[in-house]
Amino acid sequence: MDFHHLSLPGIGTKYELETEEGDIISVVYMESGKVQIYTRGGACNEYCSAELNAMEARRLGNVLTGAIIEAEQEGVEIAFSALADLRISVHTYIIGKNLSGRSIGEMDIRSKTGVTVLAVSREGENTVNPRPSFVFGAGDAVVVIGEADQIKRFEKEILG
Amino acid sequence: MQGIALALAAGFAVAYLARKWRFPSIPFYIIIGIVLGTTGLNVIHESETAAYLAHMGLLFLLFTMGLHLRPRDVLARKGSFVRAGIIDFAVNFAVGLGAALLLGLPLYEAVVIAAAFFISSSAMALSSLIENRKLGFRESETVVWLMVFEDIVLVLFIILLAATQGGTVSIITATLVFIGACYGLVHLLKDPIRRLFSREDEVPLLFVVTAVLLAAYFSSLAGVPDSLTVIALGSALSMVSQDAPAAIARPFREVFMVLFFVFFGVSVQFTGALSPLLLLGLGVLAILSKLCSGLIIGRLLHRSSLSGVEIWSDTAARGEFSIALAAIYGSAMVSSTVAALVVITAFAGGFTGMYSARIRSALRRGIRRKDARKN
Repeated sequence: MDFHHLSLPGIGTKYELETEEGDIISVVYMESGKVQIYTRGGACNEYCSAELNAMEARRLGNVLTGAIIEAEQEGVEIAFSALADLRISVHTYIIGKNLSGRSIGEMDIRSKTGVTVLAVSREGENTVNPRPSFVFGAGDAVVVIGEADQIKRFEKEILG
Repeated sequence: MQGIALALAAGFAVAYLARKWRFPSIPFYIIIGIVLGTTGLNVIHESETAAYLAHMGLLFLLFTMGLHLRPRDVLARKGSFVRAGIIDFAVNFAVGLGAALLLGLPLYEAVVIAAAFFISSSAMALSSLIENRKLGFRESETVVWLMVFEDIVLVLFIILLAATQGGTVSIITATLVFIGACYGLVHLLKDPIRRLFSREDEVPLLFVVTAVLLAAYFSSLAGVPDSLTVIALGSALSMVSQDAPAAIARPFREVFMVLFFVFFGVSVQFTGALSPLLLLGLGVLAILSKLCSGLIIGRLLHRSSLSGVEIWSDTAARGEFSIALAAIYGSAMVSSTVAALVVITAFAGGFTGMYSARIRSALRRGIRRKDARKN
């Protein structure tokens, strides 16, 4: 395996990996924050390319490092090698009108479902580790963490 | 203000359409200037304010160019980088100079035209590599570093052309002192500067703009061209941070550069200029000359003529630096010639950049057919 990087002034940095099979993968981190990926099969002359924004690049990076076992639309499940059989899901949801005006403590989210609300994003402002007195508003984006069955319980009993 | 507003409004429309069609916008800015300026409809006129803002565009363009000349990166490149650069320079400068002298231009103007003829548009080359998804190609590295080599030669041209205007020794000495002072100061203050760029308030922005304007002010005191001092400042700052000053300078560059190109177009006078046929011939020669240097570089560095075609497709367009040289040092005759050169090569370069894969495939098929016939 050959792996090297080079500076491309005015563009960014290019990382090139040649696999044992002779395939070439180039990743170009551009100054704009976007990432272009090129792949070329060993016997083929043509490159295939894709352009990713920063978030897409991070997601792909997670997949490649093996951190993500399951990727749903807005959720990831993470397995830690040091903790056997522990799979933690992190999920985001948008709060609907039905939960607007209700607090985390009032709904007793953790006792009822086992899920912890990690953060809430409202109009660009993030609240990390919100207190039980935190009152939801319609349109809030929430990040919750728990095991897969706890997440399902949260969806059913809290979100409705 | 009316002229500036009109120039920006037209520039906005052009930029929008050019992005949509993924085509270089620089030739259109110049055409707008020619069409709306005194040569055409006479609705945009030159003014002191417009000239100042256009000059700011040039300063920020050259400052960001300097940011890409990080001494450590440049010194680490040897061999192929220098060889490719020298071939590019030798072929294109010689052809440009020969053509300009044949057209009867005096030596000084012929040198300015030859320099403009040689320097490709970095903006168009890099944007072609990104937009047309060519960064995976091995030739992309060659193209990017050719642009860096051309930038270094541009610095030498600015020194040379400034020196020929009088005070050769004093200008070269003052330039070297300023460049040395820039590197020395940034090296001494690297920690405070690094801390300054990590701030999230308006302080880094004010620092960059003030530094650029102070460098330009110093040049007027020392008799050094301000185009040089801002390049030196950018290169010195790149030792500490490239991304932060580049991100700060970008909006100033993008807006004022539009004014720079449009008002360059406004200033172009075609009375007494070369005939349209000669201008077209010079444009075609400029495209062929880059093809010639591209083929030699392709054969030498990548052992492939098709690689040479790829290098040519991204470097055929002349643009911002050719215009900059003409604006700083050119006469009316040089300005009209370079304007035509940029418009013709940028149009051709836009297409070659976009369709280089097809051009290469067609050539590859042609070569195979020829080989089959031989066998």
